[in-house]
Amino acid sequence: MSSGTKAELSASDAVLIKRIVARDEAALALLYDRYAGMLSSLLYRILRDTQATEEILQDIFYQLWRNAGQFDASRGSLPCWLAVIGRNRAISRLRRHNPAAGEELVENMIVLPFNLESTLAQQQLLGRVKRALESLPQEQRAAVELAYFEGMTHSEIARCTGDPLGTVKTRLRSALETLRRNLQPETA
Amino acid sequence: MNGHPTREEDFDLYALGTLEGDEKQAIESHLATCAACTRKLDEARGRMALLALSAPRTEPSPAVKERLLHRVREPAPAGVREPVRVERERAGGMMARWWAAVLVPAFAILLIASAYLWNINARLDREIVALRASIQDQQKQLDYARSVAHLLEAKDTLTVSLAPMPGMPQGAVKVMYNEKMGMLMYDGWIEPPPQDKSYQLWVLPMEGQPISVGVVNPATSDTAHWLTKVPEGVTAKTIAITLEPAGGMPQPTGPMVLVSPGA
Repeated sequence: MSSGTKAELSASDAVLIKRIVARDEAALALLYDRYAGMLSSLLYRILRDTQATEEILQDIFYQLWRNAGQFDASRGSLPCWLAVIGRNRAISRLRRHNPAAGEELVENMIVLPFNLESTLAQQQLLGRVKRALESLPQEQRAAVELAYFEGMTHSEIARCTGDPLGTVKTRLRSALETLRRNLQPETA
Repeated sequence: MNGHPTREEDFDLYALGTLEGDEKQAIESHLATCAACTRKLDEARGRMALLALSAPRTEPSPAVKERLLHRVREPAPAGVREPVRVERERAGGMMARWWAAVLVPAFAILLIASAYLWNINARLDREIVALRASIQDQQKQLDYARSVAHLLEAKDTLTVSLAPMPGMPQGAVKVMYNEKMGMLMYDGWIEPPPQDKSYQLWVLPMEGQPISVGVVNPATSDTAHWLTKVPEGVTAKTIAITLEPAGGMPQPTGPMVLVSPGA
């Protein structure tokens, strides 16, 4: 996908961010190649609209280009920041809601104990996430998906599924507990 | 919530955005003052962000990357911080150009159409004036015809043929006269008068001075007819046409040319 050299392709997010701060377009292109597929998939899963997906995708990377100096890659995970920003914007678009500044600008202190800087790493982690989700009972998985991809609150999920609010809360807690346990980094 | 959240899932739920009302407010109040829990929330956000990976894989169009790189090469508008706003402003500029492209020809068309309509309007105004005049003429003719009809239909209308006097210009004139209506109609012909002379029609009442009905100035010997008002209630003893100085006289001064029978 990218035309960068092997050294460039293996450059860390932190290095590429520094190059973007120095107005290096090639670094932006490398980061785009690294994360656009993941981000685009998330946006499309939420919006089901190619045009809106591509519009937000471009905007987020353009925001990264303009504000890269504010992003400290040593303190937070870039792909997680992209995912959080992307999800917020897509759900806002879905609900025709204009996010206020406080909602929109999520700080980049999002900790991810995984490295997603290579396609292989992304695929390996994708396998783990899928297995973790598939291990959940169907109703728990559905509740998680409604919360994450549709941006629903507890009571909205209850209205959507027709289940009692308490049941939904318990279901989500159980699901999140399982996910946390299954997605912990493997210790050597 | 004064103390730390008791369960790890509280951070996940907050990161996921499912908490509402008091539950949400309580954890937000605590996070505002607790660095340790803020750190746990950062971890929860990372965990939740992993769910993005479960979305079915779709690749964006290569055009998105091209547009992005093209966009970053353009100088950023001064004072614009939000990329979304940049996009909106750019969209606004495009809209403005689009409107200009549409409005300029539309305005030209509007001007041409206005000039065309103005011409039509001016022509219609002229036609309306002409029609009004025509209607007035027709109304006059109608009134005249109506008056003639009334005069002729009235049982008390006298029809008098004026006979030419010997040695005077020739003519054949008929007069219809209704004293109650105060109407008199002239119908006939008479030779053109001598130069500097006019014919004048008179009603000679049973009592009093002759009443001038009008001056008759035929340019030819063709038949003419006209209707005129005369004072009401005057019983005519004689109706006569005299030859007077051009323009007529207040009272008859010249010889009679045509006169009603019995005069």
